[in-house]
Amino acid sequence: MAEVKFLNIVKQFEDENKGKVFAVKDASFTVKDKEFLVFVGPSGCGKTTSLRMVAGLERQTSGDIYIGDRLVNKVHPKDRDIAMVFQDYALYPHMTIRENLGFGLKNLKTPKEEIEAKIKEAASILSIENLLDRKPRELSGGQRQRIAVGRAIVRNPSVFLFDEPLSNLDAKLRVQMRVELSELHKRLEATIIYVTHDQVEAMTLGQRIVVMNAGEIQQIATPEELYEKPNNLFVAGFIGSPPMNFVKARLNGNQLHTASYTFTVPEEKLKMYKKYDGKEVIFGIRPEDILSTKLMPSVPDKNVYHVNLKVVEHLGAELLIYFDIGDDQLTGRVNADAKLKQLEPTELYFNLNKMQLFDPKTQERIY
Amino acid sequence: MELKTATDSQFQAKLDEQKDLQRKFLKRIVLIIVYVLLALWAVFTFVPLLWMLSSSFKDSSAITSVPPELFPKNPTLDAYKRIFKVGGLGRWFLNSTIIAAVSTVINVFFASLAGYAFSKLRFPGRNAIFWVLLASIMIPGQVTLIPLYILVVDTFQMENTYAGIIVPGMVSVGSIFLMRQFMTSLPSSLIDAGRIDACSEFGIFWKIILPISKPGLAVLGIFTFVAHWNNFFWPFLVTNTNSMRTLQVGLTSFRFENLQDYGAMMAGAVCSAVPMIIVFLALQKYFLQGITIGAVKG
Repeated sequence: MAEVKFLNIVKQFEDENKGKVFAVKDASFTVKDKEFLVFVGPSGCGKTTSLRMVAGLERQTSGDIYIGDRLVNKVHPKDRDIAMVFQDYALYPHMTIRENLGFGLKNLKTPKEEIEAKIKEAASILSIENLLDRKPRELSGGQRQRIAVGRAIVRNPSVFLFDEPLSNLDAKLRVQMRVELSELHKRLEATIIYVTHDQVEAMTLGQRIVVMNAGEIQQIATPEELYEKPNNLFVAGFIGSPPMNFVKARLNGNQLHTASYTFTVPEEKLKMYKKYDGKEVIFGIRPEDILSTKLMPSVPDKNVYHVNLKVVEHLGAELLIYFDIGDDQLTGRVNADAKLKQLEPTELYFNLNKMQLFDPKTQERIY
Repeated sequence: MELKTATDSQFQAKLDEQKDLQRKFLKRIVLIIVYVLLALWAVFTFVPLLWMLSSSFKDSSAITSVPPELFPKNPTLDAYKRIFKVGGLGRWFLNSTIIAAVSTVINVFFASLAGYAFSKLRFPGRNAIFWVLLASIMIPGQVTLIPLYILVVDTFQMENTYAGIIVPGMVSVGSIFLMRQFMTSLPSSLIDAGRIDACSEFGIFWKIILPISKPGLAVLGIFTFVAHWNNFFWPFLVTNTNSMRTLQVGLTSFRFENLQDYGAMMAGAVCSAVPMIIVFLALQKYFLQGITIGAVKG
């Protein structure tokens, strides 16, 4: 098994309309040995391009890629000791599942018995033994997905590359496959680089997550860290569903003035925000940190306000509530027991112990 | 009041029913017209074939008789005997088969190679080269005929050989275009998967792309075979002995200065058409696919 290193990787594309476009701008990071690393970001952010550069399907414009200790800039995909699972599975339609699984090994001139043994092993790991003699078109989406993973497993590579492998599955199957992939990672003890645009998938699967936007790495961190300490507005808004609320505000001492309300900033936070005293900031608060006072044993004396709810969405255990502060719309996620009603005024407590402030110019988090 | 609404709705129902009937009637009329037109067209295309078939079984006086006989009164195989004995139809048949078969294999191979490159490989000038190739379709064949003749006959000394007939037709831009359109619709991820699965570039083409291109290859194969089987002018130009003639060229040898042996020509035409009819009936599915290939992706 091996670590993967990106050193100042730049990838430029020639676009007919826009001229030269950066798909990846100066990316440097290391995927640790046996780590499950997830690339996440909106479409066109450069995450798939990064993965394809690791695979060798795309050549970087500049910079170095190491797999293990080996510089692989000019190494052919087949010699990189990697295997890849594609978004559309890319199973060879004219071959049986057995042939699909064994194709790579056969090309590598692996002895027949060994190929057969490896196919058997992979098939038992993924419980696809009964599918081996079928053709891909006879299989369901979920089964094809498994075969695609199986084709990677038989290669026994140092690094597994997954390119949005679950995006073509229905929601239920996706959750199931997510669990299976997680288990598979533990079982195989392999380095996995996984690309997705789905932040839930990223948060649940990744040991560490690389958040990308417009070709630039925004943050590399564990899921908890991304959630608690996002580097900037983009990460704060991208990770979490519904996303973090942002409100324009001005900091004055321990008072945070927004268009409609004035919040009191907790003492322990003030130290961090000293430099921004008297300045414009962007106030960020997650939906779950907005609580209904109805369910609190005692109503706190600070940061409690009456709001008019525009919309209330019932999710079963929780309610999503929407209301405005000035021009900014806020979302709250409260326990359904609060029984809040649309278009009714209600009292909400804003838990500022978990607040974030961002610099409106640099968009960086203030800490 | 209630009663009135009831009659109203009844009236409405009746009206709807009537409209429905009208619509059905119109539909039927349109269908009848379409079928009549199609039937006429079928007759129009079928009669010459029938005429060819019946004439091939007539003796020479019956062919030119007035009024014409649609079905021969005294059917005879004389014409067939004549073309086999005098003309050497067996040899022409063999020549045509060899030339059409070899041309088809070579054409399909080169066209699929080029089509793959133009649709899936990235190289500088790819689109420019493709457009130049496409533009060359607009040059009429007559323009290049004489230079081509000089090249084949004088420069390469290939007059009166199979090579002389086959070589100029080994690649055609139309075939490349067809294969490119077909292969564009194949998922590129299969090629990436092949690269990761340690396949060589040619291996990807040979083991992955070609097998999944079978429908496209079949269509191209049929088109090319038919085109080369029916080709008359080029084989006529570069062959000069009876033994090198193809079927289509050979048939003209039954036309003499003031006399035409219609019976033999019709018998030869029947022999020439039969393989095509068999091929068509056997591969009708692909023929029809071929008409829409490239028009609709996927």
